[in-house]
Amino acid sequence: MKSWTYILLKRDLLIAFRRSATYITPLIFFLIVITFFPLALGPQEKLLSSLAPGVIWIAALLASLLAVETIFNEDFRDGTLDSFFISLEPTFILVFVKVFIHWLITGLPLLLASCVAALVLYLPFESVSAMILSLILGTFFMSLLGALGAALSLGKSAILSAVIVLPFSIPTLLMGTSVIASAINNQEYTGFLMIMGGMLAIGIPAICLLTVEALLLSYD
Amino acid sequence: MSLRFSYVKLFGKIALSMLPYLKVENLSCFRSDKALFQDLKFDVLPGQNLEILGSNGSGKTTLLRILLGLLKPDAGSIFWLDDQQNYNNYRTFSCFYQGHQLAVKNLLTVAENIQMTKASKNIDIEAISKCISRVGLIDPHEYASNLSVGQRKRISIARWLLDFHKIYFIDEPFSALDDEATQLIQDLILDLNSKGSSFVITGHRSSGIEATHINI
Repeated sequence: MKSWTYILLKRDLLIAFRRSATYITPLIFFLIVITFFPLALGPQEKLLSSLAPGVIWIAALLASLLAVETIFNEDFRDGTLDSFFISLEPTFILVFVKVFIHWLITGLPLLLASCVAALVLYLPFESVSAMILSLILGTFFMSLLGALGAALSLGKSAILSAVIVLPFSIPTLLMGTSVIASAINNQEYTGFLMIMGGMLAIGIPAICLLTVEALLLSYD
Repeated sequence: MSLRFSYVKLFGKIALSMLPYLKVENLSCFRSDKALFQDLKFDVLPGQNLEILGSNGSGKTTLLRILLGLLKPDAGSIFWLDDQQNYNNYRTFSCFYQGHQLAVKNLLTVAENIQMTKASKNIDIEAISKCISRVGLIDPHEYASNLSVGQRKRISIARWLLDFHKIYFIDEPFSALDDEATQLIQDLILDLNSKGSSFVITGHRSSGIEATHINI
């Protein structure tokens, strides 16, 4: 017997895999934004490495918003969301699975691309692990916020959800850049990572519940 | 004495099986101060069908969505029978809903579209192939994006057969279908009625299946 969560995960990953634009677009967008900086500013190692934390994080935040449309809107338009609501399964699980899939198709490729970004922006090798850890926590939080934005703008354009979500991503941006900047300056950064972890621990139940309410609101 | 006792038990069982799955009382819905429907009252009995008839925009789909809890009514109550033969004002059993949007994914094949639904979690591939051939779909590996509206509807109809549902809510089941598919739906409805399932369907005119009619 397969669980409903497993079927949902398999189905959405299969659809995302077949529509390669879903995961390739954020990846390409991220890499293009990153490569613009050395091209525009010139190959100045000191300047680029001091800008790197901010550049990587802003590019990652914007890139993770590109696939927000795929979280709920498609299911809403083709009637799949209706069948979720009448299936008597907890909507919370549906929302969490959707967030996890969004992270797998946008956040995970960004982690790989960030290693290229580290090379391009002359990020010291010692700070790469800090960057990856902060991106794991931060991109998952962005997927949660993306789901909330997508639920609030159900049936409307994706740009609206981006506008809703971006102001709430400021704490993630601040913490994420602080982690990389501290790692570059050989300072302790675990405190910032703990705050990001704490945000995620509160965010998973709180934002998922808010998203469920936002979805129900859109139905009324 | 024991014979009398078993008769009482049998009649009791029959009486219980005739309790309506769904009871609707004084249901009303308004849109922009205009009443879509008002004071609707009906029951859905096991193995019996209900046909909601009305012209375009009369509120048939809205009524189905209200019954399923996807929309809120402006007035009235909906009661669902649970396993203990009590009525609750929240839905207690899994229903099947087929709206105008058929929940068919373009990027999945016919077989995948049927396989990757909640109802199919306990069902093996062979049973799914049987469902596909029963509804007259030829190639299970064809992508849904290459299918016509009628063929996509057949995918949704194949899902009816995956699991037992007490009530099937089907929005305009006979639209965009040829005569063969229409006959297929009528046969399936009869078949599922005999197993105790009920159908609540909408349409512009009576479809010819045995059902109680409501005009809205």
